[in-house]
Amino acid sequence: MKLPKLPVYGPSLWGLGGSLLLLGGVAPWIPVFPLIILVNLLIFAALAYSLNLITGLTGYVNFGHVVFMAVGAYSLGYSVETLRWHPLGGVALGALTALVVSLGIGAVTLRFRGVYFAIASLVTPLAGLNIVLVLPALDDGQGIVLNPAFEPLSWFYTIWIIIAAEVGLTYWITHGRLGYGIRAIKSDEDAAKSLGVNAPHLKLFLFALSGLFAGAAGGVYAWTTSGVFPYAAFDLTFSLLMLAMIVIGGMGTLLGPMIGAVIVNLLSRFFLAIFIGTQFIIIGLVVIVIALFIPEGIVGTLRKYVPELRRILE
Amino acid sequence: MSPTLEASGIHKYFGGVKAVQGVSLTLGGGRIVGLIGPNGSGKSTLLNVLAGVEKPTKGTVTVDGRRVDRWPAHRMVGLGIAKTHQIPKPFLAMTGRENVAVAMMYGRRREAEPAAALEESLRILALVGLEGRADTPASNLSVQQRKRLEFARALATGASLLLLDEIFAGLSPEELRDAISLFTRVQKELGFGALVVEHVMQAVMTLSDHVVVIEEGRKIAEGSPKEVVENPAVIEAYLGTEATDAAP
Repeated sequence: MKLPKLPVYGPSLWGLGGSLLLLGGVAPWIPVFPLIILVNLLIFAALAYSLNLITGLTGYVNFGHVVFMAVGAYSLGYSVETLRWHPLGGVALGALTALVVSLGIGAVTLRFRGVYFAIASLVTPLAGLNIVLVLPALDDGQGIVLNPAFEPLSWFYTIWIIIAAEVGLTYWITHGRLGYGIRAIKSDEDAAKSLGVNAPHLKLFLFALSGLFAGAAGGVYAWTTSGVFPYAAFDLTFSLLMLAMIVIGGMGTLLGPMIGAVIVNLLSRFFLAIFIGTQFIIIGLVVIVIALFIPEGIVGTLRKYVPELRRILE
Repeated sequence: MSPTLEASGIHKYFGGVKAVQGVSLTLGGGRIVGLIGPNGSGKSTLLNVLAGVEKPTKGTVTVDGRRVDRWPAHRMVGLGIAKTHQIPKPFLAMTGRENVAVAMMYGRRREAEPAAALEESLRILALVGLEGRADTPASNLSVQQRKRLEFARALATGASLLLLDEIFAGLSPEELRDAISLFTRVQKELGFGALVVEHVMQAVMTLSDHVVVIEEGRKIAEGSPKEVVENPAVIEAYLGTEATDAAP
């Protein structure tokens, strides 16, 4: 009889955890303007981590991830405007609603594989948008204007908790028994099934988790922008930015989504200031270059070619 | 003790193509059953139906009396039935040892600790002579080694009934001899039953206790290896009618 081993916590987790703790500690002293930029960055990092759970870990490319973000945003809008809740309740409701929606969508679309899944996932934001446009409870698609208090520190700590939960969960999932099953699915789903891996359940579990976190992050996003508008909420650009982040950083890695979020955010801010629209051209070019030359992203490639880094970068 | 799998009246149609038409067979009790037949005779399809990869159009599959023909493949593994693929499907990005560990954690053993599964994987790899490749990514393995890894993974699920799809195909004569002796050795040690789908007559005849022959989706003969090779219907299926006429 063997005693269960204690999980080993690697340097990536320490690094990320330490930085998050440090950020959390100094946040009250960060001036308002940089704090807002930081919150925006963290929202995108949270979205990247949520997409990483399904697309990064299983290789199922989800173009429809913005749907869960929009569901979270609308849940917050509805609960704050109509139900008169505190925005934090709205974020929780957003996470829950997105979880339910992702279970529904995933139960259908995860039956497709590869390109067919990607195409099916592309349809979901279109469907979501058209549903929202005719729902009377959501002001018939007029959008919801919110008037919450300006409280960047609350935004910060909410998104901070969401990211910490995502990083912890990603680590836990990838480093245990589940991680082996998931890597097997990513590598060859039929072979995985023939060895007893319940692929449909495992995929749906990850898809639902990714929906839950995207919903929570979408709620915080609506809270910071003080409003939800249908065409902006279901904008495919969000999906593409999230994909760009995990492709650049490294799909399925622990550090990748954070690195990708920082890079995409910096590029976005810099080139937006030069000329509106150029940021997307540049980010698109970067994604093409990465996909062509180092398809495993920054973290994935470093880990592959520098053996010494393998222990550090999980 | 290996489970008893009974297939009766299995039909499998793909649109207008009738791949399997009314085949029945019984597996279990540590017996090695050979399944032979010309190209396109429905061997692999039948195997897929038995493994839960395909659902039969008609007919039933039971394991120890339980109806399982609507079960998905991963649940069949829980009953101790595992299938290998005709073209090996290793997890290329994982090492040999990790490949086997997946089977150990998700197969019938349901080992909960990755560390323990990785440790135990070495023993299984040693059984098939792959211990030297334990920490090599599967993408660096040769075809022969991939076939062995495929076999090792099926064993690692804890299965006692293996459905083996052409594990001896595409090997050189020496490799084939090695593979057959390896199979016999491992089978003696672990005592599993198996359905061996094969083209290579030498392998089937040496290993099988019982041989089933199918042609165009129908069973045309069965019996001991010796009975089967002497059966005129089998000779005709393999060699054509003139051969039967020419035979004394």
